[in-house]
Amino acid sequence: MDRPLRRRLETRFANELTGPVRQRHDATEIRIGPAALTSVMATLHDEPDLDFALLADLAGVDTGDHMQVVYHLWSAKTPDWLRVIAEPLPRDDPRIPTLTGLWPGAEWMEREAYDMFGIVFEGNRDLRRIYMPPDYTSFPLRKDFFLPDDAARSPGGGVRHVERPEAPPAVAAGSLRRTPGA
Amino acid sequence: MSALTRPWNNLTLVGKVILPLLFLVLVVGPIVTVLAAVYVAPLVVDILASNLGIVRFVVAITAILLFSIPAAFIIIYMELKVIAYMNTRVGPNRVGPGGSLHSVVAGLKVLLKEDFTPTSADAIVFTWAPVFVFLTAVMTFLVLPFGPGLYAQDLNIGLLYLFAVGGMTVVGLLIAGWSSFNKYSLLGGLRSAAQVVSYEIPLTLSVVGLILLAGTMSLNQIAENQSGGFWNWYVFRQPLGALIFFIAATAEANRTPFDLTEADSEIVAGFATEYSGMRFGFLFFAEYVNVFIISGLLTTLFFGAWNAPVPFPHIELSLDPGSLGIMLLILLAVVPLILTLLFALPFWLTQSRMPGWQALILGFLAFNVVAVGAVLGLAYVGFDWFAGLVWFMIKSFLFVFLFVWMRGTLPRVRIDHLMGFAWKWLLPASLLNLFITAIAIVVLKSTVIP
Amino acid sequence: MVTETPIGKIRSDDDPRVLLDEQIGSFEPVPPYPPRTERESEFYTLGDGEMFLNMGPQHPSTHGVLRVVLKISGENVVDLDPVLGYLHRGVEKLCENSDYHHIISQVDPLEYVSSLFCEWSPVMAFEKLLDVEVPRRAEYIRVLTGELLRVASHALFQGWMALDLGGLTPILYSFIERDEIVEMLASITGQRMLFNYFRIGGVNGDVNHEFMSRLGDWMSRAAKQHETSIGLLNENEIFVRRMRDIGRLDRDLALRMAVTGPNLRAAGVPYDLRRAHPYSVYPELEFDIPVRGTGPEGGDALDRYLLRLEEVKQSLRIIDQCLHNMPDGPVMAKLPRLLRPRPGRAWAAIEGPRGLYGTYAISDGTDQPFRMKIHDPSFVHLQLVVQLMRGNLIADTMAVMASLDPIMGGVDK
Repeated sequence: MDRPLRRRLETRFANELTGPVRQRHDATEIRIGPAALTSVMATLHDEPDLDFALLADLAGVDTGDHMQVVYHLWSAKTPDWLRVIAEPLPRDDPRIPTLTGLWPGAEWMEREAYDMFGIVFEGNRDLRRIYMPPDYTSFPLRKDFFLPDDAARSPGGGVRHVERPEAPPAVAAGSLRRTPGA
Repeated sequence: MSALTRPWNNLTLVGKVILPLLFLVLVVGPIVTVLAAVYVAPLVVDILASNLGIVRFVVAITAILLFSIPAAFIIIYMELKVIAYMNTRVGPNRVGPGGSLHSVVAGLKVLLKEDFTPTSADAIVFTWAPVFVFLTAVMTFLVLPFGPGLYAQDLNIGLLYLFAVGGMTVVGLLIAGWSSFNKYSLLGGLRSAAQVVSYEIPLTLSVVGLILLAGTMSLNQIAENQSGGFWNWYVFRQPLGALIFFIAATAEANRTPFDLTEADSEIVAGFATEYSGMRFGFLFFAEYVNVFIISGLLTTLFFGAWNAPVPFPHIELSLDPGSLGIMLLILLAVVPLILTLLFALPFWLTQSRMPGWQALILGFLAFNVVAVGAVLGLAYVGFDWFAGLVWFMIKSFLFVFLFVWMRGTLPRVRIDHLMGFAWKWLLPASLLNLFITAIAIVVLKSTVIP
Repeated sequence: MVTETPIGKIRSDDDPRVLLDEQIGSFEPVPPYPPRTERESEFYTLGDGEMFLNMGPQHPSTHGVLRVVLKISGENVVDLDPVLGYLHRGVEKLCENSDYHHIISQVDPLEYVSSLFCEWSPVMAFEKLLDVEVPRRAEYIRVLTGELLRVASHALFQGWMALDLGGLTPILYSFIERDEIVEMLASITGQRMLFNYFRIGGVNGDVNHEFMSRLGDWMSRAAKQHETSIGLLNENEIFVRRMRDIGRLDRDLALRMAVTGPNLRAAGVPYDLRRAHPYSVYPELEFDIPVRGTGPEGGDALDRYLLRLEEVKQSLRIIDQCLHNMPDGPVMAKLPRLLRPRPGRAWAAIEGPRGLYGTYAISDGTDQPFRMKIHDPSFVHLQLVVQLMRGNLIADTMAVMASLDPIMGGVDK
């Protein structure tokens, strides 16, 4: 745990942070709103005392009631991983600015998140499906997409689960799992 | 024969037709044969005798066509096995002893496969392209001297003919690639066009120095010029020419490292991508026939053709079997028997567990080996053409081995390196070789032979 | 109701239900729908003298089932568009529906040539979620087996590299080296390819006598064997000339393209997770981080190739130290059969033979992870092909792709 990093982040992003900076094991976690993403990431990448040069991972998360996009960054200045969580994104129309301006390598990661969650990265030049066929309509990693053998949470027979339209008819609130963390 | 015992009315319609024909053949056939033997045969023999060139040509062509397939089979087997050992594998080992019949079975498999023409391919051109490729490969054999007197045609422009016919291969490859309606094939065909045309120039120029030295273009004459011993071989007078010829010929035959036309990791199988069945077989055979041809050409032009490295004293066999009379019969009857028993004796004496009959079989086999060896040895000593053939084959297959070895070890060059090498290095080098040879000949002629 | 016309067929004008036998004359690899993104419409518009070449998903040198649409002009590649998904299994969804122990076997086949590394990062992430301390002997065994597999993976890389350049022989020597290692690992894991060996809190079973004797036997000639395999290719003029100056990757582009692992180090960035974010027992071990291409031009395919060979030597050093320093003790932490981590998030990343293997796991308190994101380096490196390949020759496509060393199982997840 890198305490100075925490202090630096807290002072630098006092306006942008939507939650407290958390630290556990070797990861430091900040939460920001999707609108502030581009400026925060540019600061993290460009400022010499932060210098997060490498985007290690980009993950979409469906928490059941909203969407997140989670970024993991690496910097030579700190022994910690930096986890940036951009939330909340509405489930029916999740939109977030792209990072391909900073890291062109984020293009395929964003395509993957779009393919799996339907998160639209505004500004990405090539936001196509990457794994699923182009005529596919569902977003498989969303929490309302059930596997056929997921009997406990299946809303009933007669439905081809794997290729359901993305908005299921009626999902009982309890059938989605609890939102993790705070 | 039941038809003969049946009443005419009980015969089927087929029987009613065949039976009279059968009688006709049985009765008229012998008469016609006798008449033909008496009156027509001398005529035919006369015609054949007066046109010995044509007869020789037809026989040679048949022999060459028949020879090209086993030669390709042997080279394919050799390639599989040699590369396998280089790769620390075993290679084919199922069909025949040591897998030696593998390529025969592969040939049969190719015959039995579906002959497939892709939709939208130009069917006629697609069908004829492999024939064209194979034919140009086989036609090259015509002027290749396998031994003293063992050639189909002694053209006085033999070398020119070789390059003309060899250069035609590219047309076959190009139309094969073009007609397949496949972009990989097209790329392969275009690559082969670019490659073969580029390497044709250094290939031809590398031999011009040799032609200046030899003063002839007849391959037979070139072979005879090199007789006497390995110091007379043209490789020692034209080392640069031989090297350029070797490299350019490798590229001409599309062999590794210049096998860009069928680069499997890039364009799948190049011009052969859409081919299957025997049409693919023709393309495949042509490739290996080409390997044999460039090996044979290297041997003929630069490595003494059929001549032994050190000339063997010629022995005229004065043995006339006819003079032995009845002794010959006794010898033929007794010598095999005695030798078989003699060869069986050590097996019977040393292997106590072996029954007598097995020892006899082994003895018979050993006798056969010795007898065949003796006959071959006698043939080598007694017949010039046989000795020549043996040396030609040994040298040619050494070069075949060299090409296989290269395939086992070298990666493939890139197309721009390939073209750059041809135009920037090989062409100037072959021109240099030509000038040096020409100057040397002029200087030597004016000083040594004034 | 008629909806769509199958590709290559024509519908009758009289009755739209009838498909005519005649074919459309074109078999272009162009999608049968209007372009949806800027990049797609740009790519699928042909310029003067250009044509499309569809490579894959069945092609001899696409390392699995990758499909690449090349836009070529003669022998030059103008642009290319990789099409993924032919090996997509939905591992992340499967992981969200399996319990923590089960996940190890789910992620195994991601990178089938170095599957221990795929197990390592999820296992580390779950250990962070559970706050488990892994016994030191287990950590040493993990490092030992991992480095062995790194040697095997790099050996195979060398063979593939040669095979994609048309050399037939080196791949078989690579497989000899790899086979000895996987046989060795099979004696402790029971499997040759998908080991399923790491467990949350340790490893599944201690090293045994057979493993140790095979390993000692192999170590005594590993360095020499490595020199032999270097000698097969490294001084081959054709090989070196084909690899030099293609696919140049400089420091800035590498970092912006999120490249990791040997490809990043061959671009001049001395970034190795084993030193940058030390995990397991790597801080106790001595080894160097080879770096190439530190100049302003960055590294080319040859640099990436040579760097991996140097890494093999370092791995042999690590294996040697592991054998000498391995402590006694248990190989599994004490854990309940059913794992229910407290709600929380964990990220773990390790340095594999191809780069950063990461796992982001979210627990919601049940026995299955709420979300599990697997980061695979091959996925990131493959998109680099588009950047590196523009303007090169078709033959270089294979060389560049092979020098980045992607595994399609990991790319498609």
